[in-house]
Amino acid sequence: MTNTYITNATWALTGEKIDLRMGHGDEPITIHRDGIALPGISKVTPAGEMQVPAGARQINAEGKILLPALFDLHATINIDGHSKRESIYRAGQAANRGGVWGMLVMPSRGFVFDNAATLDSFDDAVSQRSLATMVPAGCITEGMKGEQQAPYNTLAARGVTILSDSGNMPASLLMLHRAMKYAAEMELTFAIRGDVPCLSHNTYMHPSSTSYLLGLHGTPACAEEIGIETIIRLAKDAGVRLHVQTVSTAEGVEIIRRAKAAGMKGLTAEVALHHLLYTHENVGDYDTTFKTVPPLRESSDCAALLAGVKDGTIDCIVTDHTPCLPFAKKQDFVSAPQGMVGLDTFLPAIYTHLVKPGKLSWAEVVRACCTAPVDIVNPYDREEDVPVAAPLLLFSPDEQQLITADSLSCGTTNNPMLGSTLSGTVTLPINR
Amino acid sequence: MNPRKDLITINSLSDEDIRTILASTSAMKDIFTKSVKKVPALKGKSVLTLFYEPSTRTRSSFEVAAHRLSADVTTFTVSTSSVVKGESVHDTIDTLMSMKMDYIIVRHKNSGIPAVIARHCKAAVINAGDGAHAHPSQAFLDAFTIQEKYGDVAGRRVVIIGDILHSRVARSTSTILRRLGAQVAYMGPGPLVPPRQHTGIPRFTNWEQIFEWKPDVIYLLRVQNERIDTPFFPTADYHAAFGVTEERLRRIDDLNLSIMHPGPVNRGVEICDTAMEYRNCLINNQVENGIAARMSILYHLTPQTQCHD
Repeated sequence: MTNTYITNATWALTGEKIDLRMGHGDEPITIHRDGIALPGISKVTPAGEMQVPAGARQINAEGKILLPALFDLHATINIDGHSKRESIYRAGQAANRGGVWGMLVMPSRGFVFDNAATLDSFDDAVSQRSLATMVPAGCITEGMKGEQQAPYNTLAARGVTILSDSGNMPASLLMLHRAMKYAAEMELTFAIRGDVPCLSHNTYMHPSSTSYLLGLHGTPACAEEIGIETIIRLAKDAGVRLHVQTVSTAEGVEIIRRAKAAGMKGLTAEVALHHLLYTHENVGDYDTTFKTVPPLRESSDCAALLAGVKDGTIDCIVTDHTPCLPFAKKQDFVSAPQGMVGLDTFLPAIYTHLVKPGKLSWAEVVRACCTAPVDIVNPYDREEDVPVAAPLLLFSPDEQQLITADSLSCGTTNNPMLGSTLSGTVTLPINR
Repeated sequence: MNPRKDLITINSLSDEDIRTILASTSAMKDIFTKSVKKVPALKGKSVLTLFYEPSTRTRSSFEVAAHRLSADVTTFTVSTSSVVKGESVHDTIDTLMSMKMDYIIVRHKNSGIPAVIARHCKAAVINAGDGAHAHPSQAFLDAFTIQEKYGDVAGRRVVIIGDILHSRVARSTSTILRRLGAQVAYMGPGPLVPPRQHTGIPRFTNWEQIFEWKPDVIYLLRVQNERIDTPFFPTADYHAAFGVTEERLRRIDDLNLSIMHPGPVNRGVEICDTAMEYRNCLINNQVENGIAARMSILYHLTPQTQCHD
């Protein structure tokens, strides 16, 4: 087997320029650098020191950034009216374009992961159709109805490590508390968004000058904050690992910061990229692309969330990828479904809006988008009986791309970056 | 004014547009005193009233306005239509556009629906009230009524009292009055009045503050029980705390203030019985001016429907 040589790549974690040798004979090899696994790499040297044999395949990565590919801890892939196989294929293709090698797939209408048969057929379809690793999150309750616990033992035997009802907070705290106690002994993690449904019922955006102007009822920040405090206390009491999904308020970050500082084990949290970048003002004149749950809030919330990512209170940045058909988003704001897609543009958007302006370092991006999500999910190849390691990618920051409906692979166009130019393109895998 | 297809919000209008529509309202009102209360301005044009929410006053006001401009009016009755069978707004509009309507007057419980319809069709769309968003024709009739009473809206002080949160009237009327140079304040039960940092409008909590502010007009809103699922406040308190009681009516009379209300009025809740006969009660003027304002709005919009004359 011939080796491929990658020269002059900039290693994202330290900024050093390095050369790499991919493969070594027939042996799959993984070496480590700065605590990160480099799967398939057999040798690393400072740039210019690698002996490249004549005739060997060489990729000059001058000006390109080398980093582990991203893992998205929050993706809904179901596209209404499309087959499951098509939904899986689209999401995988979009993920690769956005620098994402794997994702935690939330249960949804098309993918109700509350039984063994559904998980088996999903795994089959993913292995046949997907360009990306897809780990299903099992349902907390049967049919995500919030009533009866799903069979966690059966789900865990099929490789499920995370349980979620995809943003829905079960109405009965007693049921949830019992579910957590039961799941704790199977080492499962609950992924829940903080919410008090009766406070957020029939609300459509952040209460603000925009909601007043548009005559839309606001979702109070306290609904999310009381919800976060509630699930943290339930999980602590039950002794189960908890991952807080899509935190959107400054006070929500502070509640998690306090719980972590008080020594709570097994508590992690995520922020959706759009909550770092957009506010209620982006809703403008009923722009349904910016209808999200939780809603886009104030710029002070964006700043607090970013600070939370930087100090590790917020462990991960996720896409909260949610495909919505164009027709559905053309309805009025109240009737239109919530959600944005973000897989296609994930890494270029992070680079353009956070890394390039100096708000996040590459090392922080690697932690929040590559290593922390993988640590939470622990993706495992049950056939090979080994943990799955993230592949590497090359990122070309100087290449510009205009985001158009045609350039998106995910199958729908509800991407807030549509019509804008992003810096950077992704090469995944690096020897593509 | 520049040709415009739709009227969705007051904010979408220029100052010149607002003044033009107000000026023509006066001319339209003159027609009411003639023996023939009709002009041929919209002869041969079709007007559709599409009300997804119950309404008698606004709907009939628009219908009378359209008739006085000689338009043909069709009424789309939602309760007997396929909307109750689950048809989407887009599909309803496609059906209606096949009937070649020139003007669509729409009311819906969801904020933002008229804008969606306006983008989707060539007819001129008039928002007759969408959720808590906007009710621009009400704003015009209110501004015209104040202008008629005081000669000018500029410099007047208007306090709007009641359920501001759910009120499209409060939003549109406060917008037009402030654009015309009036000052506006809000008062109502705490959970029903958004904070000043969201509205940009001062917020009073009791009548004493209102009287100190020296308003010209007391503008009362109806308590909209139909929009309220979980109670916002104890309704038994309302009349005593926020309504025009007999005692407050005497002070209003002493200070020579005007009373307005978009109707329908809940007697004994936002207003005492005798206030309806108060000499400066402008509620009936509002109804009459509503027809003139709506005639003016219809007259100034330009549908993009094709003509082959």
